[in-house]
Amino acid sequence: MAGSAPILEMTGITKTFPGVKALSDVTLTVRRGDVHAICGENGAGKSTLMKVLSGVHPHGSYDGTIRFNGAEVTFNNIRDSEHAGIVIIHQELALIPELSIAENIFLGNEETRRGAIDWVKTNNRARDLLARVGLAEDPETPIKNIGVGKQQLVEIAKALAKDVQLLILDEPTAALNEEDSRHLLDLIRGLQGKGITSIMISHKLNEIEAIADAITIIRDGQTVETLDVREGAVDEDRIIRGMVGRSLESRFPDHTPEIGEVMFEVKGWTVAHPQVPDRLVAKQSDFFVRRGEIVGFAGLMGSGRTELMRSIFGHSYGTWLGGEMTLNGTRVDLRSVPAAIDAGIGYVTEDRKSLGLNLLDDIKTTTVSAKLKKIAHNLVIDRRAEHSAADDYRKQLRTKTPSVDYDVAKLSGGNQQKVVLAKWLFTDPDLLILDEPTRGIDVGAKYEIYGIIQRLASQGKGVIVVSSELPELLGLSDRIYTISEGRITGVLDKGHADQESLMRLMTKTSTTPKDAA
Amino acid sequence: MNKLKEIFGGDTRQFGMIFALVFLIVLFQVLTDGLTLDPGNVINIFQGNSYILVMAIGMVLVIIAGHIDLSVGSVAAFAGIVVAIAMRDWGIPWPVGILLGLAIGALVGAWQGFWVAVVGIPAFIVTLAGMLIFRGANQYVGKSNTVPVGEGFQTIGAGYLPEVGPNTGYNNLTVLIGILVCAAIIGGTLRNRRNQAKIGAELEDGMVMWIRLALISVAILAVAMLMASGRPGTSLPISALILGALVLLYGFISTRTIIGRHIYAVGGNRHAAELSGVRSKRVNFLVMMNMSILASLAGMMFVARSNASGPFDGVGWELDAIAAVFIGGAAVTGGVGTVVGAVIGGLVMAVLNNGLQLLGVGADMTQIIKGLVLLTAVAFDVYNKSQGRRSLTGLMMQNFGGRATKETAETVKQES
Amino acid sequence: MRSLTKLMAVTAVAALAVTGCGRADDTSTSGSGSSASGGSGSGGFAGDSLIGVSLPQKTSENWVLAEQLFKDDLGKAGFKADVQFANGGVGEQQNQIQSMVTKGAKVIVIGAIDGAQLGTQVKAAKDAGATVIAYDRLIKNTDAVDYYVAYDNFKVGVLQGNALLEGMAAKKPSGPYNIELFAGSPDDANAQVFFDGAMSVLKPKIDDGTLKVTSGQTAFNQAVTQGWKAENAQKRMDTLLSASYSSAALDGVLSPNDTLARAIITSVKAAGKPVPVVTGQDSEVESVKSIMAGEQYSTINKDTRNLVAETIKMVQALQKGEKPTVNDDKSYNNGVKVVPANLLVPVIVTKANAKEAYANDPTLSKLTQ
Repeated sequence: MAGSAPILEMTGITKTFPGVKALSDVTLTVRRGDVHAICGENGAGKSTLMKVLSGVHPHGSYDGTIRFNGAEVTFNNIRDSEHAGIVIIHQELALIPELSIAENIFLGNEETRRGAIDWVKTNNRARDLLARVGLAEDPETPIKNIGVGKQQLVEIAKALAKDVQLLILDEPTAALNEEDSRHLLDLIRGLQGKGITSIMISHKLNEIEAIADAITIIRDGQTVETLDVREGAVDEDRIIRGMVGRSLESRFPDHTPEIGEVMFEVKGWTVAHPQVPDRLVAKQSDFFVRRGEIVGFAGLMGSGRTELMRSIFGHSYGTWLGGEMTLNGTRVDLRSVPAAIDAGIGYVTEDRKSLGLNLLDDIKTTTVSAKLKKIAHNLVIDRRAEHSAADDYRKQLRTKTPSVDYDVAKLSGGNQQKVVLAKWLFTDPDLLILDEPTRGIDVGAKYEIYGIIQRLASQGKGVIVVSSELPELLGLSDRIYTISEGRITGVLDKGHADQESLMRLMTKTSTTPKDAA
Repeated sequence: MNKLKEIFGGDTRQFGMIFALVFLIVLFQVLTDGLTLDPGNVINIFQGNSYILVMAIGMVLVIIAGHIDLSVGSVAAFAGIVVAIAMRDWGIPWPVGILLGLAIGALVGAWQGFWVAVVGIPAFIVTLAGMLIFRGANQYVGKSNTVPVGEGFQTIGAGYLPEVGPNTGYNNLTVLIGILVCAAIIGGTLRNRRNQAKIGAELEDGMVMWIRLALISVAILAVAMLMASGRPGTSLPISALILGALVLLYGFISTRTIIGRHIYAVGGNRHAAELSGVRSKRVNFLVMMNMSILASLAGMMFVARSNASGPFDGVGWELDAIAAVFIGGAAVTGGVGTVVGAVIGGLVMAVLNNGLQLLGVGADMTQIIKGLVLLTAVAFDVYNKSQGRRSLTGLMMQNFGGRATKETAETVKQES
Repeated sequence: MRSLTKLMAVTAVAALAVTGCGRADDTSTSGSGSSASGGSGSGGFAGDSLIGVSLPQKTSENWVLAEQLFKDDLGKAGFKADVQFANGGVGEQQNQIQSMVTKGAKVIVIGAIDGAQLGTQVKAAKDAGATVIAYDRLIKNTDAVDYYVAYDNFKVGVLQGNALLEGMAAKKPSGPYNIELFAGSPDDANAQVFFDGAMSVLKPKIDDGTLKVTSGQTAFNQAVTQGWKAENAQKRMDTLLSASYSSAALDGVLSPNDTLARAIITSVKAAGKPVPVVTGQDSEVESVKSIMAGEQYSTINKDTRNLVAETIKMVQALQKGEKPTVNDDKSYNNGVKVVPANLLVPVIVTKANAKEAYANDPTLSKLTQ
């Protein structure tokens, strides 16, 4: 043991892509045995830095040096870095759903005997590794049969199988619920006790505050500072100040709600799962939205909040079994997405890349895509109108892009989300439903998106916000409904809600043992 | 040199298929001692490949929407035999025969569209079944015989524009059409530029634009003059005229109309499209139906050119049409491709085929070379995309109002 | 910038060069409407002219041999030969013929894939002043075909019918005999002719009960073999055997060619039945071996050498401006006109006469020793 000698020193790292300088003279020093957090806005260069470290960007494609365990290293691919004991776990899990847990753990690293896979050894070792990460699953269970939280643990077991010394986790809790997140953070701390150093990239500042021993902040491809938690506690505001280069007085823009009469109301809404007809994802749900009001929906993952919203949006999820809907005083029956859009409902999906955007499109095409009729004469698109409409929204929402001809795939998460918002604003909705509107978006862009949402409400529209982040709901909403097991379990006014009261309602399970089918 | 690059879209590599096409033409022109650009040969290239290119137009839309159609050859043969028999045995006039053929295409397309869009069976399976069903139907209806068609009908596959006006040494109508097409392209580009100026979009260098227009005009006029100067009685083939009209029509539909946008949207991300109010079932249905209608038209054009409908018409056509589409820059995963690109891809194959035949290269070698060209063209595209450049073909096409092949998301995502 | 100017200049010159000529060679006739018709063989042409030979798919030994012979012998006769196969089907053959016209071929010899689908191309050839000879397969529904050269296909059928009867009589002196009938591909004009020739012999015997077609499939369209494909014949034979010959004995099978004959024999053997008398045609190596081994009964020798030699003789006559040999100007009506035909006589070959029949053939003569 080299005592307190750093396990990793990256110095003067500069990485250029055609036309973009992604990293410029970045320095990162990680102490042995630490949990080291890396913070920065989207596009700051965090992931690029990790790709340089893990050999995704091979030696020679960047400038600067990497010293690992005191010696300079040159990795040409991921295999090289894994061989040295550095394992990266990506944000999008790299597990194969159809294969078993054990097969996934040893994928590319198979336990063999004379060229054939040794299944006994594979499963035994897998069982040991699963025990180390605290997962009591049969190693032969297919990955698709376990939840996201457990899959994340399997990823860590996979890393342990490779005798990891330095574990890099890119947004490990992004897709996890509170409980799974807590479990994961505990595990990382447990590994720390066993001598494994971790680097964690996260947007969740509370988690960083809770777990990190040191925090390096990166902004615009440059190291801003490294904060050592052991020398004194670092709070969220301190981190935010480093990330955005200024201190955010408030994380929510000022907004005075002007709430009018009820403009949207749902009664007795009941929906069944599309594949499992006797499983109800929404049960007799009643709720309403008033003009100018921002209504929050809180619920754990799997509680049915997204399912409810999508069902309301033109029956685009599940099998509708009953319930009625009133919009602007008239009863409406909207059984298709086009009907819902025409009636004035917009829905910003939770999964931006797979449901919200066509990544092949450019900004202007995306902006007008939900209401082409508006810029078409006799089914023929007026390209001037298209361009100017898209450009208006670009200015209004302050989307950072050279022009509206730019591909959406090239934008950062926050700007992509602004384009998605533009697309729905373009349909001129009376009621806009936003499902996880700020997921994977950095602090600066979040603030802007909150502002856009509040402006919509000020224009007298109804807004529904679904979010997993309770502080966001508490800061933004005028009223919050809670959902648990497909049932609306309560509603709290802004003044009466806090994280604890919400959580109590979100975890409230039905007392009746069985629902009438 | 930089100016030259700009004319062809930012990078000399990105000449794309147009460069390949020009290269092949020049190469064969030299190798064959000038036979390649012999008027008769230019006419032959168009006449002998129009039916494949017509199918490539339908196929590119199918592939953009994320499907494939393997049945086009069989559908073409089926429509061909029914029309030939209807004209011979029931004595219906040939224009009615053409309408009948298109109606058969619509019916067949509705059948396939039903299985793909409504029932949700992958198009690969549906059209593999269709390939067998309609091949069998062709041979059943025609009793595996060859059925001749009359002279009027032959016009759509073997006919030419008539001679009108004074004897100028050229076919006047052909020259006129060439001039009109040039005028339309120049006018369209200028109008587009004016519009862009009005909305304040970035304008390209004026000289670059004029040089490109000059090159395009010279190319079109050259082709028109060549065709107009062929053997008397020949001129612009009617089949090429049909092809040209379809390229304009479908080019417009795919880039400028709501349904066109919806086809790209469904192919690019079906779930996102549905949640944006696109009725994806309807799009899939229409795309499959349109393909069968164009396949029927292609079948009839071939029957007209062959003067008869036979039991093995259309065998292997699906592969030619699909190859044209992919050479023309479409992506297997859908959402990407252009009508003009597909037609140019088809022309590359046609010129290659023709040149090798003029050189007397055997059918076996010709197939090997064509296979390698397909592989090289797509590999070049893939390589370019992995380098973060836009696809060659795609870039060339943007000047025709088409949609360029875009990089995949992975290559540009530098930061999560 | 300089290179750009240069490019522009080159493009402009090239454009002028291709477009500037107009219809130079035809301006004299274009006014009068009718084009130069240059009746077949009226004037002759240069001795080193291009002769185009368009052959169908490369599917049998005979076509491969024909390709070689045409290449070699046209060359020896002083012509430039352009011999091509159309493996890609009718569309490819159409384009090939067009290319030959473009290249200025004086005579185009066509072994058609489908003789009814080449009207447009043959007309283009004719309009360009070329003479069209239909080789082995007649080109239909066009007046632009000048000659037809082939073995007498009706005669082939007659010979096959007779051989079948003789072969069965040799094995079993008296009838009735159980037989099955196979025909060629329906899109090949010759298939029907072979079948008709054979039936001209067999039909009376079927009617008087000497022959019995157990399956009852006696019509051409029942007996066809799609695409001349061995697998199709084999499948049909399998079906016939299991349907009609579980107990009855099969005495003979009329097969239109050797490839199908061998497929039929394979099927019979697989079913565990004794090999019946099977006819054939084409003198393929494998079938000659089979005949010498006593399995296939007969084949037809239509020596490709003779047919190619005869075709080249016709080309030479045309070159000199003479009229080529024609021995039948009545039988071959293609739907528009009667095509003058030069018919060669086929020879039936059984084990008995194989040695003398193949005496001149370097490959086959070895097999008959």
